[in-house]
This record gives sequence, C-alpha cells and structure tokens, in this order.
Amino acid sequence: MNEILGILANDIRRRLKSPVSVILMILIPVTMTLIVGIVFGPSGEVTVPKIKVLLVDNDGGFFSGFLMQGMQQGELADMLDITGVSAAEGEKMMSEGKASALIEIPQGFTANILDGVPVEIRLVKNSSEYFLPLVVEEITKTMAVLLDSGSRIFSGPMTRMRSIIDGESWPSTGDMEDVMNGARNGVILVYGYVADSLITFRDEVASAADTAVVAAGEKEDSGGFNIFAYVMPGSMMIGLLFIAELILRDILRERTGGTLPRMLASPVTTSQVVAGKVGAAFAITMISCLILLAVSRIGFSVDLGDPSALFLHTVATILMCTGVMTFLYGAISSERAADAVMSVVIIVMALFGGSMVPYEQMPSALQAAGRFSPVFWAADGMKRIFLFDAGVSDISVHLAILVALGVCSLIPGTLLIRSRIAKGGW
Amino acid sequence: MTEMIVVKELSRSFGEIRAVRGIGFTVARGEIFGFLGPNGAGKTTTISMLSGLLRPDSGSITIDGMDMASHGRDIRRIMGIIPQEIALYEELSGRDNLLFWGGLYGLAGGELRDSVDRALELVELIDRAKDPVRTYSGGMKRRINLCAGLVHDPKIILLDEPTLGIDPQARIRILDVVKGLADRGKTIIYTTHYLEEAEHICDRIAIIDEGTIYASGTLAELVELVGGKIMVTVSGGFGAGDVRELVGDAEIDHIENGELRVKLLDRDSTGRFLGGLFSTGLHVDGVAIREPSLESVFLQVTGRELRD
Repeated sequence: MNEILGILANDIRRRLKSPVSVILMILIPVTMTLIVGIVFGPSGEVTVPKIKVLLVDNDGGFFSGFLMQGMQQGELADMLDITGVSAAEGEKMMSEGKASALIEIPQGFTANILDGVPVEIRLVKNSSEYFLPLVVEEITKTMAVLLDSGSRIFSGPMTRMRSIIDGESWPSTGDMEDVMNGARNGVILVYGYVADSLITFRDEVASAADTAVVAAGEKEDSGGFNIFAYVMPGSMMIGLLFIAELILRDILRERTGGTLPRMLASPVTTSQVVAGKVGAAFAITMISCLILLAVSRIGFSVDLGDPSALFLHTVATILMCTGVMTFLYGAISSERAADAVMSVVIIVMALFGGSMVPYEQMPSALQAAGRFSPVFWAADGMKRIFLFDAGVSDISVHLAILVALGVCSLIPGTLLIRSRIAKGGW
Repeated sequence: MTEMIVVKELSRSFGEIRAVRGIGFTVARGEIFGFLGPNGAGKTTTISMLSGLLRPDSGSITIDGMDMASHGRDIRRIMGIIPQEIALYEELSGRDNLLFWGGLYGLAGGELRDSVDRALELVELIDRAKDPVRTYSGGMKRRINLCAGLVHDPKIILLDEPTLGIDPQARIRILDVVKGLADRGKTIIYTTHYLEEAEHICDRIAIIDEGTIYASGTLAELVELVGGKIMVTVSGGFGAGDVRELVGDAEIDHIENGELRVKLLDRDSTGRFLGGLFSTGLHVDGVAIREPSLESVFLQVTGRELRD
C-alpha cells in the first residue's frame, strides 16, 4: 500500500511542480462556460425555438382565459406554442416527451380568485429538457404574479363586475362608476403587493419514461435561471475527461522516458505501479473537479445544490472518467495512437452527451444515441443538481450508471495495462 | 571468489530477431564485469533480463544464490539499475527524485533522508539537490541518474552505458564513482561500447555481438587471444599474389585482392614489413597499425570493427 501511495503522491507532486497542462485543461470548461454564458446572456442574439406548451384548462372561466390568451399575444405568441388539451391527453403527451411543459389550471380558478380563495397552478416540466421548461416557468410565474396583484388591487371592483364575468347581465352606469372608483382606490392602496399571494404556483418535473411526477421544484426563490449552471456541467465533463486522459497518458510517456522500466526494476510489483498511476489519475481529476465546482460557485454564482447528491455524483463522475480513460489506455499501445484516438473519442462522447450543444435541441435519434455516452449521465446528473436541486434519490439512476460504467471499465482497463506491462509490450 | 551472478544459456528473441543467443557467464562478488559490444549487440537485453524487466525465453539467472524466476522481487531489492536513458522526473528536484526512488525500495523517514544525502555527496551534487533536474547539465543528469540507482545501497549494480553522450570530464567523474563502488565490495555489471572505458575499469570483460559472447576474461587474457601481436592492415590496388611474398614468416590473418591483414611480433618486424611494402612500388591507399588491445581482440574474435 505504501508503494501505491508513494507513486500516487509522486504524481501529484509532479503536477504541482509543473501544473500548466492541468491548468489549461481546467480553463477549457471555464472558458466554454463563459463564452456560452455570454452568448446566451441578456445581450446575446439567440434564436430560441418555439416552446411547445400544453394547457389544461379545468376552469374554463374568465381568469383562466386571461392567462391562456395572455400567453398567446405579443412577443409571447412568437415564443410559445400553446395547445389546449384535456388532463389525460396532457399527461400522456408529457410522458411521451412531446412538449416542454404542461400548465394545469384547476377547477374553480376564476371563482376562487373572485372569492379571494388561494388557488394553485400546476406546471409540469419535461425532465429531458432544461432551458425551455424554465422559460415557460418564468413566463407562467410572471403571469401568475400579474394576475395575483391585479386581482387584489381590483378585488372590490371585480366583485361588482362578477355579473359581467359570469355573463349574467351588463352593469348599470352607476355600477361602472363604482367599479372605476374602486379600481382607483385599489391602485392607491397597492394592497396586493404586501400581502400573501392568492395565486400560488406548483412546479413539477415529469419523467419522459413514465407519467409519475418526480420532484417538486424548490428553486422559485433562487433568483431564476442561471445559464452558467446549465452550461457548466457539460463543459466540465470535457475538461475532466481530458485531465484523466492527460494523467493516464503519463504511463506511456514514462515507458518511453525510462522511469516506468526503472520503477518495474524496483521491488514494486506491476499491479502496484498500475494502481498508483490510476489512483493518481483519480485524485488529480477529483482535485480539478473540486476547483471547477469552486469556480462555478464563486465565478458563476451557480447554486451547487444538495451537498450529498453533489458529493456522490462527483465521486461517481470521476470514477467514470478515470475508468473510461483507463480502459482506453489499456487498448492503446503508443503515444502516437493516443494522439490519434483519445481526443476524438472524448469529443465524440462530449458531443453526443450534450456538452457542446444543448441535448434537448438534438434530434430525437441523436438524443437516443447520446444516452449511450457516459458524458450524458455525468452532465445530466450535475445539471439536475444545479438547476433542480435534485437529491440523491432523484439522480440515483445517474449514480448507478456512472458507478457501473466506472467499475466496468476500470477493472478491465487496469488488467489490460498490467498485462501489457508484464508482457513487455509497453 | 564467491560467485554473485551466475547466468546459464540465456536467450531472448523479439519476433524473428534473436537478441540474445544462449549466453552464459559468472560474476564474482566485488567484481566489475564489463560487456563490450556495439549498439544492438544484446547488452541492454541482457541487462533487462538480469534486472527482471524481461523474461528470458530460456536459460537461468541466479543472483546471490536466488533464482530470478522464483525470487525476482527479492533480487530486485538488492539490485540497483542505472539505465542508459536519463530515467528521472525532470520537473522534480534531484533530491525529490532520489526520495521517490529510495521510497520504492522501502526506505522511509530519517533513513531515507540520510541515504539520499549520502548518495548526493557521492556524486558531488549536494549543492544542486534542490534544483529541478531539467536545469542540470548533461553530465549532472547522468550523475543524478547514477545516484538514483544507488540510493538504497544495493549489493549489485547494473550500469547500462552510463557515460553515453557526455563530455570527458563528466565521464571521468562517473568512472571514478563506479571504481569507488567496486572498492566498497559492490558487484557491478557495466555495459559499454567504449573500448577505453572497458579497459580502464573492468576486472573482466565479455565481448558480445549479435547476441553472442565471443570471448570473456581479463584484459590480459583477451589480448593473449590475439597472440599479443601487432596487427597491420594494408589496403590498396594490389592483388593477393603481389603481397604474399612480402609477408614472409608473419602470420596472415586475412588476405584478398586490395586488402591484407597480418600479425607481426613487434615494432621492428612491423617496420621491416612496411619498408618492404613501400619499396615494391605497389599502390597503397592506407595502412592501419593496431598494437595489442581490446580493439584488436574485438576485431579478431568478431571479424569486424567495433562500430557505433
């Protein structure tokens, strides 16, 4: 064990003495995130696809109509593609991933607002998408706030207007005068701004695999969508894979440089040497990941979410990165081959895994293919932690897949490298 | 003398290439045993098998009474290897390198630090110990490379061309260190393709080429193989018959049209032979005279010059 730790510590010491290559690899995701963040930021000119939204109107009243119409007018009409559906249809379409979000207005919505009874709008977001459902969430929240404030300010006049709203009869001129005066007084009092909301908002995430609602969002108070939190996980995976690759490439470099044969001429066994090298790759990639998480928090104000979920996901991700790279190096015999293969493999995995282009904007065939990329599970899990405050149970599938990938590639990879060294093939 | 290293019928091939072909030799405790041969002769392959890095195809290696096949790890513990290349971490300091290599041999704490200091003093690099190796000169790198194989105070030291590509002054320093180690009772195997190095420091020498040991022994024993005679090689535009009469009683080593190689007893007979040659008026392009030396031994036993 001391020998393994000695080799591991020596590799870390070497990286500390000559950190430029690792720093450059850390800068890749930071720069990518910064650039994408700036492009998608307020000053960026970005073409956003029309967002498919399903609306279940269980009320059919004045205010639900107001909400529905409001979303189909002006600039929102260019942004949203609203389709009215029944509750059953909506759930089915969401389960099939055919829309970015579903808004369900409850029965008695209008009547309850008029009576001052709290109501709740349900928003179900597509779990396989991030950015688009969040746009819908923000729009819906805004509409709800407007409606809420309006209903409070105009609560008096609205009561008088109930006959119009209910469609019973037209009010008299005197009633209209009272309505207008009441509205004026309401605006002056701005009562609604300081009171508890009448209309609240329930945020859910629908799984594309089944209709079950899996999580209630907790991010309403977090200050809205942070584009960096969306971009960083994918970018981070590229950097981490390159760092793991860089450290493991050392085995090939040390073979040609003579330090590996020298190690093998000492009493240390081949297995200890390989374990030390793979351990160093894990440790240095982990340290790099922690630095990237710190940069995400401090530099990009990313909410790192649930600490235990983040910890487990980080360990699983680093295990996956180290395992996959170990396996690839087990199959590669020279630095020249590594030059030709490794970058391409990492970039393809990152591309399919949604590190370079938003996963939800890929065609469905590519999305399906992307699920075979380890990067998808690593980036997707981290996005869920950053954006939806996902807990350990919410990312349990991700954790299981990452650990399985890590272990299943690490063990054969380590054995392959060991066998190559033992046979003198290295 | 106690035999420290016993090698029997050792062979190793790489595909079709037979790098080492059934060699055998013994090395006594405290002896410097040299392998002299050109590049590609099989010296490094032999060293690699002795250090446990390569498994032989056949044959046996016994070191300090232990068989390499069954006690490889124990043997590696008492062995220090100084490879041909500078096998060091250039970004680390000399001291950090030695601490790492010493640690692999089980040294730790104060014992490790003391061993590192002793090794650094031995190669006179204590003043530069904290500098990164990449800032060292070629000679200093060679010395610290040597040091890394000595830090655990091994009984047996394998040096694979340790003076390759360095200036004469640095070479002398390294050779002095090697001689000092032998004086302290270390058993040393030293490979080189420099004749003068082999002559200078080796107690016994094995002449190796194409994976075969052609001759081995002390320098005196090897010189005796060529009869202790001066070898004269003449080249020019003459036929074999033209010069045959000139040779007289001298021993002809090689004769063909345009080239003659003869062994002569001493300098007087050499003078007489060359005088006679020039007086015939034959066209002579060149004359090479070799006093009895390792070089002439090499030529004699392998049939060719020691080339780079």
